[in-house]
Amino acid sequence: MVYDLIVIGGGPAGYLGAERAGHAGLKTLLIEERFLGGVCLNEGCIPSKTLLHSAKLYDYARFGGKYGITASDVRLDHGTVLARKNKVVKTLVAGIRSQLKASHVDVVEGHACIGTRTVEGYTVKVGDDTFVGRRLLIATGSVPVIPPILGAKEGLERGYVLTNREILNIPQVPGSLVIVGGGVIGLEMASYFNSAGSKVTVIEMLDHIGGSIDGEISQILLKNYQKKGIVFKLSSRVVEIRDGAVVYECEGKREVLEADKVLMSVGRRPATHGLGLENIGVEVERGAVKANDSGKTNVPEVYAAGDVNGCSMLAHTAYREAEVCVNNMLGKRDMVRYNAIPSVIYTNPEVASVGETEESAKRKGIEFEVAKVSMRYSGRYVAETEGGDGICKVLINKRYRNVIGVHMIGSYSSEIIYGAGLMIEAEMRVKDIKELVFPHPTVSEVIRECIFQFDD
Amino acid sequence: MATPIIMPRQGQTVESCIITKWHKKKGDRVKIGDLLFSYETDKAAFDEEAKAEGTLLEIFFDEGDDVPVLATVCVIGQEGEDISPFLPEGKETPVAEDAVIEGQQQLAAEGETEIESSAVVQEDDRVRISPRARNLAEKAGVDYRQATPTGPNGRIIERDIRQLMEKGQLVTPAAREEYMSTGVMRVGGTGIGGRVTTTDLSGIKAEAQYQVPQPPVQGIKVEQADYEEVKLSNIRKVIARAMHESLANTAQLTIHISFDATEILAFRKKVKEQGERLGLANITLNDIILYVVSRTLLNHKALNAHLLDDRMLLYNHVHLGVAVDTERGLMVPTIYNADTMSLDEISRKAKELVEACRKGSINPDYLKGGTFTVTNLGSLGVEAFTPILNPPQTGILGVNTIVQRVKELDGRIVTYPAMGMSLTFDHRAVDGAPAARFLQELKANLESFSIFLAK
Repeated sequence: MVYDLIVIGGGPAGYLGAERAGHAGLKTLLIEERFLGGVCLNEGCIPSKTLLHSAKLYDYARFGGKYGITASDVRLDHGTVLARKNKVVKTLVAGIRSQLKASHVDVVEGHACIGTRTVEGYTVKVGDDTFVGRRLLIATGSVPVIPPILGAKEGLERGYVLTNREILNIPQVPGSLVIVGGGVIGLEMASYFNSAGSKVTVIEMLDHIGGSIDGEISQILLKNYQKKGIVFKLSSRVVEIRDGAVVYECEGKREVLEADKVLMSVGRRPATHGLGLENIGVEVERGAVKANDSGKTNVPEVYAAGDVNGCSMLAHTAYREAEVCVNNMLGKRDMVRYNAIPSVIYTNPEVASVGETEESAKRKGIEFEVAKVSMRYSGRYVAETEGGDGICKVLINKRYRNVIGVHMIGSYSSEIIYGAGLMIEAEMRVKDIKELVFPHPTVSEVIRECIFQFDD
Repeated sequence: MATPIIMPRQGQTVESCIITKWHKKKGDRVKIGDLLFSYETDKAAFDEEAKAEGTLLEIFFDEGDDVPVLATVCVIGQEGEDISPFLPEGKETPVAEDAVIEGQQQLAAEGETEIESSAVVQEDDRVRISPRARNLAEKAGVDYRQATPTGPNGRIIERDIRQLMEKGQLVTPAAREEYMSTGVMRVGGTGIGGRVTTTDLSGIKAEAQYQVPQPPVQGIKVEQADYEEVKLSNIRKVIARAMHESLANTAQLTIHISFDATEILAFRKKVKEQGERLGLANITLNDIILYVVSRTLLNHKALNAHLLDDRMLLYNHVHLGVAVDTERGLMVPTIYNADTMSLDEISRKAKELVEACRKGSINPDYLKGGTFTVTNLGSLGVEAFTPILNPPQTGILGVNTIVQRVKELDGRIVTYPAMGMSLTFDHRAVDGAPAARFLQELKANLESFSIFLAK
């Protein structure tokens, strides 16, 4: 039997692509090595959000005094949090499985290795079985980068160094935790384990946290974290991991930091090894499968979506990329636009952004204007956030006067940002947005406030 | 008493005429015999002269308007006279015809009538669009240049934009202004739902500026080329359309033959010498060919026919179209029942029709109904050509010039005058061999014309 499509990898790109393809009538096979749902559902987005929600409730209970709420004997039971996390994951994985079934997608578990191209299609081996598909969708995702730091590999084997996979299943809250890498994963884990009682130190190579987020927002986030007691070592490089301590360099000086556990979260790289990509000549560039904005690789009828293409490494990007791939398979011309992909850090306060930052716009030579307002312009925000220092920042293209970037830090930002993404995608101008009605009282009104800072 | 001037009915089948030129303006003094306006049917052009004296009080139709026959075109009278009794049907105010029509189709927008007069007379290269439609297009972010105008005089109105919104090119608000100014129409942008985005603009502008690099032609730049721009007359437009339709919709091909013109030349010489004495017309070689064709065709009815969708009309009489070169363009008047006319009658009729065509006074009823056409480029020295059919006719005969050819006669090489004929026929109606047989018989009849006349 020849499949119309074989999807390798069951994460967001893989399962959604398979679902869409199956729904459109393509006979589809999905091969997943570990768990359906991929990193996002099992070891990433969803489990971390479950943990962070518990931490948020815990913080509300502990620090509710200024809102007139006091509670005593409030405890965070990490075991229960983990158990609930597992339940949530199980529910969602089951949901995906039934969705795939409803779309008539066959699912096979095991490691997929691409064989050759035959007249009928591409052969893919899973264990002793060989499958043939007219098309391939490579959606194998990414794996954590383990930098070549002395002792890192050994630490990982010993269970002293953890990645996102292990830390989300850690049975006990460590007394002290060193997080290497102050990106999204590092910050979210810092937030939870800080709330859960660990002494958390974040070591970051750059002079700011949050990767490519807006510089000002990065500063605000840093202050908020520091207020909670998280320690940051910026512009610092980890050079060695010993048993029970991390050695880092800062301004030429070596420091030793003791820690019960170390979380390695310096980034992720596309998972392309052992897939047999070379057997059919798929071009791989700097470890990522090279795909164009239609998701096509250099090999006919071989597509790639999700982290494996190294473009954006976000689950929602993966969704869109997979849909674009399937649309193109079905003969509908479609392409991914990367200029309006929102990104969110689900810490407390939440950080959300979409489009150009001041830094990136300058780098690209875009002439822009920027407006910034305090979140305190929102009645809802003031009512709900004592001492909040959130901001919203909007960038517009000076020439066309359309919105090109929105950045916010403050409650509900994660849920608001899609609207800003829409404005960017639709290239709405300042004067167009001025015609929109925002619900009152909501935090989203700060975008409107920002827009009215601009002339039409 | 004011006098209405109506659009004359030029022939029984003409329903409307197009005003091609106004020679007088509203308010001008006119005398009897002054040229008021020129107009055309789809086949002929005419001039209308003033039949009353006074002031041109009102003009109801502009140049380019298609005016129903017998409708009042303008009014001549004394200044201050009431012209309202002469308003053509459906016209409430003299200039706002479009506004009235449009008002029925959509809620009349403010300012609609105000721009009306200017919008209608805009140059052809400008897009005619109602303000309401333009506003909607701008709001919706569609490229209104892609709309199919269904309003009066080819104007884009609101419903055209609504139609376009469903299937046309969308443009983001930010990209709109610059995109519209590029002059390039793009299909498919990179934005949501294929919208043209600001990112696409640089590519589109590059496209607009792109010129095919060409080597300099003897040092003369193309921009410096000297030319005169001429608007097509209605007759030219009609000819263009008819010719193209003929080539597009038929399976026409041309076959050639030549015949020994010795006899007809001799006959022509005799007519010249003695025709006057007998009161004969100046019978030309072309007249002779018309005469022989009108007789020969009846043996080849598939060529004296109209080919319709699923049937053919085989005519019992020959209505011969004669192609006439006029200043305005090609015209083809018809000699009805040519097969029943004598050579002299054919000759006289042909001359009369040609004259009327050249003067522009031909009755349009003469410009239709032909069953076969003869066209002559031989007088201009053409040796062979491929005439274009005049559908639904199935054949057209091209008459060529006479050249001296050689032939063997009793073992000697002699020269003789050979006249060429090119027959274009519709292969859907007639096969090659029957068409050739017609030419063969035509040749035989012409070569023995003196006997043929006796028939």
